[in-house]
Amino acid sequence: MSNRLPTSTEGVSRLELTLIAQEFLAIEAKLLDERRFRDWYALLDDEIVYHVPLRQARLAFADEVPDGAYRILDSKKHIETRIKRLESGAAWAETPPSRTLRMVGSLFVEVGDRPDVLVAESAMLMYRQRGHDERGDVIPVRRRDQLRLTPAGVRLLRRDALITEAVLTTPNLGVFL
Amino acid sequence: MYRYERVPHGAPSGELAQLVQRVEAGMDRGLLPVEVFCDPTVFRAEMERIFGSTWVFVAHDSEIPKTGDYVLRKIGIDTVIVARDEQGQVNVMLNHCRHRGSEVCHEDRGNTKHFKCPYHGWTYNIKGEFAGAPHFGEAYGQPLDRKAWGLRRAPQVDSIHGFIFACLDPLTPPLREALGDAVKVLDAIFGLHPKGMRAIAPPERFTVKADWKSGAENFCGDAYHVSTAHVSAGLSEFIPDVRQVSAIARGLDLGNANSFIAHELTQWGPMFEYWAYPREVVEQFDFSSLDPALREMIRTSPPTIGTIFPNFSYLRFPQPAVAGGRPYPFTSIRMWQPVSPGVMELWNWQFEYACVDEATTKESYLAGVYGFGSGGIFEQDDTAVWEGIAKAASSPWNRRDGVMLHYQQKRVEPSGEWKGPGRFYDNIYGERLQEGFWRRWVKEMKGGAARPICIHEEKAQGACGGDK
Repeated sequence: MSNRLPTSTEGVSRLELTLIAQEFLAIEAKLLDERRFRDWYALLDDEIVYHVPLRQARLAFADEVPDGAYRILDSKKHIETRIKRLESGAAWAETPPSRTLRMVGSLFVEVGDRPDVLVAESAMLMYRQRGHDERGDVIPVRRRDQLRLTPAGVRLLRRDALITEAVLTTPNLGVFL
Repeated sequence: MYRYERVPHGAPSGELAQLVQRVEAGMDRGLLPVEVFCDPTVFRAEMERIFGSTWVFVAHDSEIPKTGDYVLRKIGIDTVIVARDEQGQVNVMLNHCRHRGSEVCHEDRGNTKHFKCPYHGWTYNIKGEFAGAPHFGEAYGQPLDRKAWGLRRAPQVDSIHGFIFACLDPLTPPLREALGDAVKVLDAIFGLHPKGMRAIAPPERFTVKADWKSGAENFCGDAYHVSTAHVSAGLSEFIPDVRQVSAIARGLDLGNANSFIAHELTQWGPMFEYWAYPREVVEQFDFSSLDPALREMIRTSPPTIGTIFPNFSYLRFPQPAVAGGRPYPFTSIRMWQPVSPGVMELWNWQFEYACVDEATTKESYLAGVYGFGSGGIFEQDDTAVWEGIAKAASSPWNRRDGVMLHYQQKRVEPSGEWKGPGRFYDNIYGERLQEGFWRRWVKEMKGGAARPICIHEEKAQGACGGDK
């Protein structure tokens, strides 16, 4: 990311904010697909919250996500442990590592509660082929991200990744959403 | 897509009987025919003989506290509604309308006064009794028997420390009798405070391409896998000494494939007494009614992992919620839900004692999910290695030659000094607890074959024209 990027959303056009978010999400997806975890980690804000809520079958959409129930609720320290685990050579769920393709779309942006935060909502379909001869899984996710605009570039401050499924069909969340 | 493979009806019973016989004879020599982990005939028979006759966990009281509360659960591959009625009783009902069989409940949880079938509108009350149908006078003329045409109900429902179990066979002994000595251990695990434990959140559910028995058997007594399968937890510096954990593992066999692994946690220091619960929590515990030997056991070497046959497992281990944090003893309850041969869903609940404060409960939840959720540091390794077992089980090469798996660790003798229930083993090696699982499996698979197919009396089916 260039240093010429704004550090506040004030006075910045919606078009430019959309392009900032789009570029960040595209680069991030490529880093994760290529398993450049340390480069991805560098894009995380120190205060990051990475949240994957639970979902249930309910009649009303508003009831589907029970309060306080999650599959993952990570801080930066949690994510660091996950990356060390992936680098350990003994993370059996990712041995060999999954081949993944993250497809990000349906992007729209809003300004955040703080001037330096941009909210980007996107849909992401991840294709994941695990093991050496497994059929591929598709992990469908709607993500709501808070992107922090800093002098050093865009940083991921919060990600709420709502998986479409109530019962996960991929056998584990050994990949970042 | 593998979730939706149809389960064929069983092959001729002779073949199944032969296989069960091979499992029984194999266990005498510490050997197990590999095909039991993925086989359509075995699977179908398990659904009928094991899940149709044993006590199966369905829900905890804290998930359905109020009148009309319900959750949708599984007994084997049957979907059941678990609902609390006006009298506070729990009803476990098959989720199929008695008119044409459509599903009457469509939500994982909720609160209702009745369940209405979306096909023709037959309606049932919270006890599952028939409560009405549209155009009743024109369509039926005379009243229907409310009970006979109610939803099918589990003939036995009972609970222990709020954990509700159901049994589809009226002839199976009552829950406490069926659990036997395991009751005393459950008292020592779940009964330490009068307010009991509560489910912190609904269960997390994920599909695992491994057989339900791989999970159940592992939690019965396999502490041997930890230093290899979970070595990444050490290499990532999350649990630096994970390779040493097996050395302090013990075994507790309560019979009937109800067994526990215990860990002598106090070898790590006195703060690890009582699973390492913080002092302010331990001070609220009441140990007075416990079996004396178990009371001492939970101080130094508490049960940490266990299985109640067939598919209910328990895990309480001190683990930090984040690297470098204090070890907190989260409580995970999991079910190995059979889906199809070689495929299960893992349902994982996190529990905490109701007397524990909100912030600590959140810490407990995070610790459990971070270790043993679908993204868990430990869980991922287990389920990944179990996938291979189901593949080995369907291997034509293995099957052609009747390949057996190795259960021949040096059998250790039970401790002569143990005064508590069951048999205590001073070290976890020996695979006796896993052997116990397969002995019980044989017993149920044989017993089911002996049971005649029960044609219910016509009256119970609500037949027309009888003397109602």
